[in-house]
Amino acid sequence: MNKDYFTFTDGLFDRSNISEKQQVFKGLRVLDFSHIIFGSIISKWLSMFGAEVIKIEEPYEGDAWRSATYWAKYWKDSSPFFQCLHWNKRFVGIDLKTQKGKELALDLAKKADVVVENFRAGLMEAWGLGYTTVSKTNPKVIYVSCSGYGQWGPLRFFPSWDLVAQSMSGVALLTGFDEKQTYKLPDFYGDFLPGIFGVMGTLSALHHRERTGKGQFLDVSQVEVLFRMMHHWSYMDITGEDLKSTGNVDPAMAPSGIFKTRDEQFVSIAIATDEQFTALLKAMNKMEIAQDPRFQETFERLKPANASEICNIVEVWVKRQQLSDIIALAQECGFPAAEVKNDLQIANDEWRRERGSVIEFEDDMYGKGTWPGSPVALEKTPVQFKSQQRPIGYHNQYIFQNVLNLSKDEIRALEKSHAIGYWGNCIGQRPPTYYDMSKDPIVNFTKGNEK
Amino acid sequence: MKPEKSKEKVFSRHLTGKAASEHLANFNKLLADLMGSSEGKPEVLDDTAVIEISEANFPALISASILGELGAEVIKVEPPDGDPARKVTQYGVNVDGIGIPFMMESRNKQHITLDLKTEKGIENLKKLITKADIVIDGMKPGFLDSLGVGYRQCVEQKLSLVYLAISPYGHFTAKGKACANIPDTDLTAQSESAYPFLTGNPQAPEPYNYPVKAGVWVASYMSGVLAVSGALTALLYKRKTGEGQMVDIASYDALTSWMGYSTIWGVNFRKPRMRVGNMDWNTFPYGYYEAKDGFVTIAAGADQDFRGFLKIFKRWDLENDWRFVFDRITDDLDKVKVLESEFKKEIMKNTRKEIVQKTIALSQKAAKDRLRGQGFPIAVETLSPREVLNEEHWKVRKSFLDVDAGGTKVKMPAPTPKLSATPLRLKRIECALGAHNKQVFTKYGLNE
Repeated sequence: MNKDYFTFTDGLFDRSNISEKQQVFKGLRVLDFSHIIFGSIISKWLSMFGAEVIKIEEPYEGDAWRSATYWAKYWKDSSPFFQCLHWNKRFVGIDLKTQKGKELALDLAKKADVVVENFRAGLMEAWGLGYTTVSKTNPKVIYVSCSGYGQWGPLRFFPSWDLVAQSMSGVALLTGFDEKQTYKLPDFYGDFLPGIFGVMGTLSALHHRERTGKGQFLDVSQVEVLFRMMHHWSYMDITGEDLKSTGNVDPAMAPSGIFKTRDEQFVSIAIATDEQFTALLKAMNKMEIAQDPRFQETFERLKPANASEICNIVEVWVKRQQLSDIIALAQECGFPAAEVKNDLQIANDEWRRERGSVIEFEDDMYGKGTWPGSPVALEKTPVQFKSQQRPIGYHNQYIFQNVLNLSKDEIRALEKSHAIGYWGNCIGQRPPTYYDMSKDPIVNFTKGNEK
Repeated sequence: MKPEKSKEKVFSRHLTGKAASEHLANFNKLLADLMGSSEGKPEVLDDTAVIEISEANFPALISASILGELGAEVIKVEPPDGDPARKVTQYGVNVDGIGIPFMMESRNKQHITLDLKTEKGIENLKKLITKADIVIDGMKPGFLDSLGVGYRQCVEQKLSLVYLAISPYGHFTAKGKACANIPDTDLTAQSESAYPFLTGNPQAPEPYNYPVKAGVWVASYMSGVLAVSGALTALLYKRKTGEGQMVDIASYDALTSWMGYSTIWGVNFRKPRMRVGNMDWNTFPYGYYEAKDGFVTIAAGADQDFRGFLKIFKRWDLENDWRFVFDRITDDLDKVKVLESEFKKEIMKNTRKEIVQKTIALSQKAAKDRLRGQGFPIAVETLSPREVLNEEHWKVRKSFLDVDAGGTKVKMPAPTPKLSATPLRLKRIECALGAHNKQVFTKYGLNE
């Protein structure tokens, strides 16, 4: 009991023996029809915790995200942004436009626990691969349909991207200093937040199945997820007024903002409670302000005139301080303050490596690298890295022999009829140039011959 | 509710013919059930008890709220003078002393007060924890441990529960220990996650050239839902093996490690991304543009989508110079700005509706093309929240609910996503301080 709390917890989350720990979704099979980010990130959660995710792609075409990368820069002929969504997954190439390809996908769906797709609403149904078809032969299936506006309603067939969802939800006009200069939420937030809501829904469906043995259908709408995180609906309803963009001030916290320090660094400070306010005043050595009736109590402090007054006082103070001093004071006194970090600092952060949210990995095909890791730490069933992305159809032999019990001849016949296929020789789809596919044990897989 | 048949705008050549319409008829039947009443349907977590102990910690409040939507019995424990999160609200707007964010995330919860400065309060909390399946610890790391009710004591008592710890820097690592004193807010979490650094216009005059905060609580919500997902994952393991475990979320880290782009960029480019205003690092156009009567959002991923816009604007003269995505990326910002200024001019000639209609017309025609060579540009009006509320689609989907919050009707977003067999529900908002003291104290035999 006398042991330090952090010594105890450091032991719980020790990363040195992580590969010996359990995987919670071992044995769970996920059929993944998704493309770009929204659906892929849902199946990523399941694959991070040990599920067998089978990603179906169109041969010689594949997920459009394979070749999409920032500044058109690639890593070993692959997009790092596609890589990070496709841990531990299996890749098969099936042409869903062919009848045989469809049948093959339905055979796989029969043996799947979860199916994920993010085509436009109704498309999978029209292809004969929707929930109504799959659930006939597999009533236990959890079928996750992701779309911009949901599967129902007048807008349902309208296309969507992250940015479109931001616009249709009203989020778009809320970031920036005024209405003439509005910014998007960067890095596809409109995909990643809906993605994690989709994960939450899928996990809840797995609980229901664990309890009752029954599957179900999920309708995840990007725009509705963005609604769920906005306080604007209630604000408009209560006050009758609009809540508009407020620059770097959080109107729910006073003082708050992003300020420049004496050493020309950016620091953000946001005060949520009276206790934190007292802590900040102590750090600023301005305890006399605590007696000012405009600032004493939270609701008073949040009134626009008072909030802007106290923000100005903090701005002046920050301008005279070094960034490191402010952070040290925040730790000592206990108020929320943080440096405005950049990409490079995140990538090099020792703390994130210890947490496992930045990981060093080694992959059979891509070798060593550093990647974003796990956003959550689980003591007994942590996220485990096994493999990177693979070319389209890389697991064809492996999956069709193992899961569908097809013979090599049957697979060859499917190849000949173009129902299944492989990667094209273009960037994003092909393996790294140095890699010798002829010696690869999975591409050349023969059941019974495993080493 | 009848499935709407005619007049739907279809953007695919696959959604035609008899086979497709039969499938869709079946599908619509399923959807009618999905959109219908949740009455009589089971709740996923009606066998799960959750104790939430948190202070000014919105990721913790949000995660407990979602567990409540899933049907868990959620008991929020507060000090006698209340969780200070009650007062964190836009411009101080509140209903009977309760702010908007707190109210919105008190879904289906029961609120009780315990004085953890007294022996009795701690004993009561101990009793509650022995009955819990999930404990949400949103206090300062180590605080509950010091009271003798932390995860360590749960392990000693052989309680197999999911212990969900939510704090800015986490409950382990050296930095977690050093920074245990720093509280959570959305803005500071965004900053530590390198998020504001990506937004803004470096050419603007000071201070408008600063990194810009996201205008919604991007970090708090991401952390909150990641926390629920972590807890549900651990709870599945508990259902299978009977074993509980500790789950730890660092709210100053979760946003960036789930999205991952900052790490990838930092590792591969060995320098940080700089702010590019309204542009994107991936493609052009992908942003908000001013039309005659407000903003439109236009997005074109592939080259043919970009060419689609050139056709719409009748600016084929630009095609030769900007043919490939490689011509239109922001590694040479000044160059792409030339193209952007042309786009700005063309968009300004139209109203919002005109741009959207022209784009839809082209996309619908292009969708019928076998080879998709015609492109698929997208344009929508950039809506304000008030305009969103007028959209018929969300009324049909019942995406907003008018909820009785202590006698006042307040508009709130409905739970999401939609599940056919076990829908999430917003049953009640009863968040007066100590509103459920009586029933919880009686049910669990706590000392008054």
